[in-house]
Amino acid sequence: MIKVKNLYHSYSNDESYAVNDISFEIEKGEIFGFLGPSGAGKSTTQNILTGLLQLQKGEVEVAGFDVKHIKNKMFNKIGMSFEQSNVYNKMSGLENLEFYRKLFDVKTREPMELIKMVGLDGKEKIKAGKYSKGMKHRLTFARSMINNPEIWFLDEPTTGLDPAIAANIKDIIKEENRKGVTVFLTTHNMFIADELCDRVAFIVDGKIRLIDSPKELKLRYGEKLVEVEYFRNGELLKDRFSTVVEEEKNQLIEVIKKNNVQTMHTKEATLEEIFIKVTGRGLV
Amino acid sequence: MIRKIFLIFKRDLIVSTRNFITMYIIVVPIIFAIIINVFSPGINDTTVEIVLLKGENQAQEDFFKQFAKVELLDTIEAIEERVIKRDNIVAVLPHKTDDYFILTQGNEPEYIVDYVKYLTTFEHFDIGMEDSMAEIVDYGRDLPPLKKLMVNAAMMFSAVLGGMVIALNIVEEKTDNTISAIHLSPVSRLGFIAGKSLIGVFIPVVGTFLMLLITGFKDINYFHAFLMVATSCIISILIGFIEGINNDDVMTAAGNMKLLFLPLFGSVAGAELLAEKWQPLFYWNPFYWTYKGNNLVLSDSGTWIDILTYSGLVLGISMLVFMVLAPKIRKGLE
Repeated sequence: MIKVKNLYHSYSNDESYAVNDISFEIEKGEIFGFLGPSGAGKSTTQNILTGLLQLQKGEVEVAGFDVKHIKNKMFNKIGMSFEQSNVYNKMSGLENLEFYRKLFDVKTREPMELIKMVGLDGKEKIKAGKYSKGMKHRLTFARSMINNPEIWFLDEPTTGLDPAIAANIKDIIKEENRKGVTVFLTTHNMFIADELCDRVAFIVDGKIRLIDSPKELKLRYGEKLVEVEYFRNGELLKDRFSTVVEEEKNQLIEVIKKNNVQTMHTKEATLEEIFIKVTGRGLV
Repeated sequence: MIRKIFLIFKRDLIVSTRNFITMYIIVVPIIFAIIINVFSPGINDTTVEIVLLKGENQAQEDFFKQFAKVELLDTIEAIEERVIKRDNIVAVLPHKTDDYFILTQGNEPEYIVDYVKYLTTFEHFDIGMEDSMAEIVDYGRDLPPLKKLMVNAAMMFSAVLGGMVIALNIVEEKTDNTISAIHLSPVSRLGFIAGKSLIGVFIPVVGTFLMLLITGFKDINYFHAFLMVATSCIISILIGFIEGINNDDVMTAAGNMKLLFLPLFGSVAGAELLAEKWQPLFYWNPFYWTYKGNNLVLSDSGTWIDILTYSGLVLGISMLVFMVLAPKIRKGLE
């Protein structure tokens, strides 16, 4: 669905590249996470893919359309939820969606259905200018689905949302993906990426450092350890045991048999830890 | 594409009515029309008014009615009270002898008082229309020049107001950050610009037509008027886009649009006050040609060739400005 080959972009039209020779492909129905700290080149790449920024150098194909010679028809197939909500403040939530749906040439979704989906029902007639930040974000998210996109670009879709609403948004993303929608997720939230993405790309300083599935990355970079907290003689003790060294495996079994175990965790590496390990950089 | 252009226009129109500043701009032409009617004599308001004592002299009453608007009151006191009122009404009252005197408030124009004097004299000596050997020749100027000038300037002012509304709408799109959302829909950049421009034509055209009707210009050629207004809007639309792109604040954008009033009123002053040899100094100014074209429209004395010539000149100058500003507008809306 998306093919990117040797993509470069410079805001100053010189050799100082914000995006520097990146290549990747995304298959239909995949959730692809594009992860990196601020200024890494995530938004630049996404803006080139969606046509908001002009392609300077490289080859980009989105939904079968060459982004170099972009056609308006392409926008019938893509949807985008922006990190910063961008809705008309002087129009109600419903009016925003009604206006936007009429701009498309394909079958669109019922605005009220989307409003209910993101939990804004009952507030659809209130002007968006009176919405809270989180409500505007949900309206922006709902709008991105209005044309039944085949490729869905999501820029920090859960930023600023409370946990319950964020969970709802994640469920919607999973559901849409189950229907076959390809998702390009830009985020620096590794927990969301871990939960949702089939594959992730780590981008730092305009270059992709690594592309793989979260599971593979954890296997490759995580430590195969179990951490156990247990009481022995009234004292709380904490130990780590390898799950691959035979002697430590036996020790773990002994601890479990003979003591009162309080907590036990496998010590998989988190995506954030792997990111730091691979790139040498934090995510902020 | 046309449908989407109208969708963008409709959205702008609806949202404009929800904003106090743009709503005020939309109704300004109507306010202008009312002000013009109050401060300048109307086309049909030039008739001299005379007040007489009811039943005092039927022959005189009938004679006066041929040449003036006659009002009849029952008593001398009522007539005196009527004359004191604000308008320019003059009384013709019987004297103690069998002649008449003219009662005025004192501030009536001299020509009105003279006119009533002549009418009274002619009636006294029984002089009628058939006794006159005069032939009336006029220049076809059947409306007050001041009124025409004011309506003409107000028509051009309306065109600038259209640009002002565009500037305000672009500032709104920028502050709401919605331009990027539009660019991710199947609406071309050109379609977006066209949709945004429509309100800059709609407001001046509707405003001007309402103003023309309110001020009494009912019998002019409205196709001529449309052509002149539509072409004069282009320059304001372009400046409206530029001001919208360059400003993040509604008041600053509206304030900067006021710069257009300088060439507008300059062209009016130049065309009306300067000698023929200085007129070429204004040939670069589209408002100058608009003013000349509007003059023909308002006096209903322009042919299609005249109107097409003036609107063509305005269009040509506006296109040159468009060629300079178009890349900036396109880039600014990215």
